Amino acid sequence: MTGEVNSFLSAVWPRFQQTGDELHLSHYRTFQDYRQIWGMAIFVLISTALVPLVVITMIYYQLIQRSIDTESLLRTERVASNARRAVTFFLEERLAALTFTVNEMGYDRLTDPGRLQDVLQNLKLGFGGLTDLSVIADDGTQVAYAGPFNLEGKDYTDQPWFRDCLKNDACVSEIFSGYRDVPHVVVAVKSIRDDGRAFVVRATLETERLIQTLSSYKTGEHADIFLVNHQGLLQTPSSFFKGESNRMAIAVPPFAERTRAMMKTDASGQQIVVGYAYIATKIVPTSFILMVVKQKAGMMKVWLNLRREINWFLFLSALVLVVVITLTSSFMVNKIFQADSEKAKTMAMAEQNCQLASIGQLAAGVAHEINNPLALINETAGYVKDLFTLKKEYKDDPELLDNIDSIIEAVERCGTITRQLLGFARRFDVQNQTINLKDMVSDVINFHKKEAEYRDIAIHVDIPDGLPPIETDRGKLQQIILNLVNNAFQAIDNGSFLDIQARADADDRVRLSIRDNGCGISEENLKKIFEPFFTTKKEGQGTGLGLSITYGLVQKLHGNITVESQIGQGTTFVITLPITAKKETQA
Amino acid sequence: MKHPDILIVDDERRYADMLARRLKLRGMVCKVCYDGQTAIDCVKQDFYPMVILDLRLPDLYGTEVLKRMKTSRPEIEVIILTGHGTEMDREQCMAVGAHAFMNKPLDIDRLMGIMDRLEEQAP
Repeated sequence: MTGEVNSFLSAVWPRFQQTGDELHLSHYRTFQDYRQIWGMAIFVLISTALVPLVVITMIYYQLIQRSIDTESLLRTERVASNARRAVTFFLEERLAALTFTVNEMGYDRLTDPGRLQDVLQNLKLGFGGLTDLSVIADDGTQVAYAGPFNLEGKDYTDQPWFRDCLKNDACVSEIFSGYRDVPHVVVAVKSIRDDGRAFVVRATLETERLIQTLSSYKTGEHADIFLVNHQGLLQTPSSFFKGESNRMAIAVPPFAERTRAMMKTDASGQQIVVGYAYIATKIVPTSFILMVVKQKAGMMKVWLNLRREINWFLFLSALVLVVVITLTSSFMVNKIFQADSEKAKTMAMAEQNCQLASIGQLAAGVAHEINNPLALINETAGYVKDLFTLKKEYKDDPELLDNIDSIIEAVERCGTITRQLLGFARRFDVQNQTINLKDMVSDVINFHKKEAEYRDIAIHVDIPDGLPPIETDRGKLQQIILNLVNNAFQAIDNGSFLDIQARADADDRVRLSIRDNGCGISEENLKKIFEPFFTTKKEGQGTGLGLSITYGLVQKLHGNITVESQIGQGTTFVITLPITAKKETQA
Repeated sequence: MKHPDILIVDDERRYADMLARRLKLRGMVCKVCYDGQTAIDCVKQDFYPMVILDLRLPDLYGTEVLKRMKTSRPEIEVIILTGHGTEMDREQCMAVGAHAFMNKPLDIDRLMGIMDRLEEQAP
């Protein structure tokens, strides 16, 4: 379970780990910082995928917002316009009826109390909404009254509607309580008596009818429709603006002949749509302003729900995109990383091969040049020795002979080195034979059997019987295995072990590994291990050619040799050899 | 004289002379040649039972010299003594009929051993 979690995590968040022995390869890599490339890839892909998506959504939101604003302004304006027509008609109709009555009846008949009562009755039947009717003389005294209140003889000189009426021939008052202490509207018309004096006929209208007419235009719970006067005082009840002041909490809109609508912010900071119209009858203007107020939030509700759904969809799409892009980027960059690691390894190996080849050429040249003078020294020293040995007087001088022998011995040692050097550099013809690797390894182990017993070294050989026989040069392969086993024996202490394993590898190759648990090789030495003359042994104990010759031999057999080692843990040499031999080209 | 005459062929004059001197100390009479053609001519003119032949000669390669010597005198015994002999050289020389293949620097005792054995086999 944890393994699956880990593999998923590494698929999403790859580590691009470079193991210790790969660190020196970093200068062969095409890129250095894979984490950065990975991050950049994800950033660029996500940006190019998400930015257009988000921008288009934003533009779409803007368009919707704008069209909703326009739509709600239009609708509010239409409601206000319709309501205005109804209110205007309501007032005009009653003013016209009153004017007709005055013109038809004349002062004398109207002041007859019985007649006035009849007129009121007829008007109530014809138009409704009237409470009472009275005739007022130009000095403000009420001369006749018909209706439920006893207001005869009252003086109206100070009433603003009365003064308006005398001035403008007709008037529509604000809604006020007056002497009767009940909210009402007064409509009045002025006329002239036969004697030339003016008089006023007044009708009181029920506000209930007006309020009912307005309410019928109210649309939904987020809308409000009411009348205010030019000072902003409420004339009919409002569901938005309540309270002691009886005043509308927004500024009185500027005068306009036509119905208008606009966006406003109310006292609590909420957006509202306001439609308004200054009410004016054909006969006389009034002090009413019709107000339609709608809460924008309420109108937006459907759109806000839709927007929430779109946002969810956007969020989920973005999430899927991010996951897919992250997985794809991780996979791709990881592949690049692995390919680059392989390339770096190959390049490092090629460079090492190149280096070794040039060292080999140099070594061969040196060996050639040194061998001739060496042979001459040998012969000359030999001749001197011959002279002494063959002439009786020096024959028994041990010191002389010792000295000459040491010269000849030194020359022999030099000769061995030059021969090995030549062996390292030179390409011999490879003589291919079919070889059973298991037999060959056990042959080599036999050389060391005695030493292993004596030093208590355990040798494990793990070579399956089914391993295919390989076609290669017997002598060279034997030399390779012998060199490596020798090397291992020198590296391990008594009581250690040596592990020899062979497996058939992919690509028709056999993989032979020789592992010891000896002292190990430091990382620094590991790089030079195949170079000629590199040795960590004491002077005179090793020529430093063993492994470089082994390297050369493996190359000749078209194989490959690698080494892994850790200080104190041991060393593993791995040789891979082709199962079928390639044709050697002679150099 | 215990041993028959010997022809030494080597382009390194001082080496050839020194070897001749060492063999002379051991009772052998040697003739020295410094190039391949002279050596072939010598073998044609006189009989040398044994030739010590270097491979790297200024005019001809040792194997070629060996072939021609063996062609003109098949009974001649040739010991190859070379500083830079490869496995291939050894195989070629032995195939053409060299008696032995030795590397420089020379182990004189080994050479003497070979000569002694030749002597014993000789009729």
